[in-house]
Amino acid sequence: MDPNRSSMPIREISHRISLVFMLSLAAALLLLGRAETYVFDNARQVVTDLAAPLLELASRPVAAARRAVEKSDEYAYVFDENERLRAENQRLMAWKDTALKLEAKVARYEALLNVQVDPSINYVSGRVVSDNGGPFVDTVIVNVGREQGAKSGDAVIDTDGMIGRIVATGEKASRVLLLTDLNSRLPVVIEPGHYKAVLSGDNTAWPKLEYLMATSSVSPGDRVVTSGDGGLIPPGLPVGLVIQTSDGNLRVQSFANHERLDYVRILKYEFPTNVARQDPPALLTGPPVKAAPAPTAAPAAPIPGAPAPATPPASSIKPKPAAAKPATTKPVTAKPGAAKPVTTSPAAPAAPASTTMSPVPDEPAEPDEEEAPQPPTEVAPDNAPAGQE
Amino acid sequence: MMARLDPYTPTPASRASRIVVMVLPFVISLICVLLSFVPISRIIGASTMPAFAMMAIFYWAVVRPEMFPVYVVFIMGLLTDLLSAGPIGLWAFTYTLTYTLVLTQRFLIINVPFSVFWFAFFVTLLVEGAISWTVASVIYGTLLPVRPVLAHVIVTAAVFPLLAFLFGRIERRILPTG
Repeated sequence: MDPNRSSMPIREISHRISLVFMLSLAAALLLLGRAETYVFDNARQVVTDLAAPLLELASRPVAAARRAVEKSDEYAYVFDENERLRAENQRLMAWKDTALKLEAKVARYEALLNVQVDPSINYVSGRVVSDNGGPFVDTVIVNVGREQGAKSGDAVIDTDGMIGRIVATGEKASRVLLLTDLNSRLPVVIEPGHYKAVLSGDNTAWPKLEYLMATSSVSPGDRVVTSGDGGLIPPGLPVGLVIQTSDGNLRVQSFANHERLDYVRILKYEFPTNVARQDPPALLTGPPVKAAPAPTAAPAAPIPGAPAPATPPASSIKPKPAAAKPATTKPVTAKPGAAKPVTTSPAAPAAPASTTMSPVPDEPAEPDEEEAPQPPTEVAPDNAPAGQE
Repeated sequence: MMARLDPYTPTPASRASRIVVMVLPFVISLICVLLSFVPISRIIGASTMPAFAMMAIFYWAVVRPEMFPVYVVFIMGLLTDLLSAGPIGLWAFTYTLTYTLVLTQRFLIINVPFSVFWFAFFVTLLVEGAISWTVASVIYGTLLPVRPVLAHVIVTAAVFPLLAFLFGRIERRILPTG
């Protein structure tokens, strides 16, 4: 083993020294990592960006294999599954009718109350290319980065519900903090009673419900959705169901299956900060305070809000022509129903509408005329006449 | 050993083999670390990934420590730290410490049957899990759940024979040159 004995101890000593040096370097790194987070965050981003293409390449055959496995599973249960789907389809058809009715009704109410409808949310799709890589963190890497418009804080969902949010972005890859991670906190609402809570991960499969009011009556099986508090995550995203563990704690079983993450959506949600001013419809304001040029008897015509053609992007049930030319003084009655914005945004509208109540503005009729052929946009259909700002 | 001292320039073959011996640990560690992040276990619907890096560290620390120096282990740990979102230094420290411990106990497990070798790896994993769990708990300031660590240990131990076989082949290939 050792041809010349004299060199052996020296080599041994240098070996020991390098061991001790590396150990202390690692220990120092532990402390340094707490202090110089900025440096390491950058390094982390660079490494993630470099590794992402490799991981993506490697995860392709893995995804293919998984799909093959899933497919063979499906073949085994194809008849049962068919039967189940047929039954479910029947149930859902009934639900569809109900949903359509409710949609129309809600849209009418929203128009009546002149509600600020949430903007529809754009998204980018991506694929999960990495696993968490350790027992102490629950994060994954998706192949969507700054170039595609992802940014830190964006909510990430899959087809079943919320899975987490982005905590760091590189050029081509981002890191997603899953709801189960120790560092994850998400403001949620537990649905039928609308109790607010914070969903906090603790590295187990079921995150905890914290800061729940002692008086709230939440029971297992209740639906948990995002509350949108804080403005980071859009409200109303499905999260999971309440479950009760054997020790009596309330936890949440998420709708999304964290074991089978594949394609995900990154929601590019912007909290509506610069909302256009809205005015309440005639029914709520009463007669104008000032001597208005419009006939005071008819509460309909000159009142803003009502005639504004809010141009729903789709599925307006009310006739459009009525909305297109309401600014002239001829409308028979208030047509608030015409301004009916319907978007596909998932949420119940938040407060801003009610906070902007104000007296009737001065010259309501004119601007409407110019605003009439308003093109549909992807932002909130603002019902406010342009003359207000 | 003595052949190195002769004045002749090394043949291209021997030079290539020396380069391979130098580069190989880095390549192996890089592949092992990256492999730990590829969602392989999701094929069967699990989310616990085996720690391939730990397998490489244990195998090479026991079989050929001179080929797998401590700084390679450190770089492996650092890379894992950077790729995972955990605290920086957690895996660098854990891996380096485990490597050192394995080196000190190496004489116990050299030239033993594979079952004993495997069992030694399992014990090493338990120690490694304990170290990382302690460090992570201190950093996070809370007692972390033990179950994911145990699952990690068991999955890693279960996959070890496969990697040990692969490493064995690599080792036999380069043994004549080393």
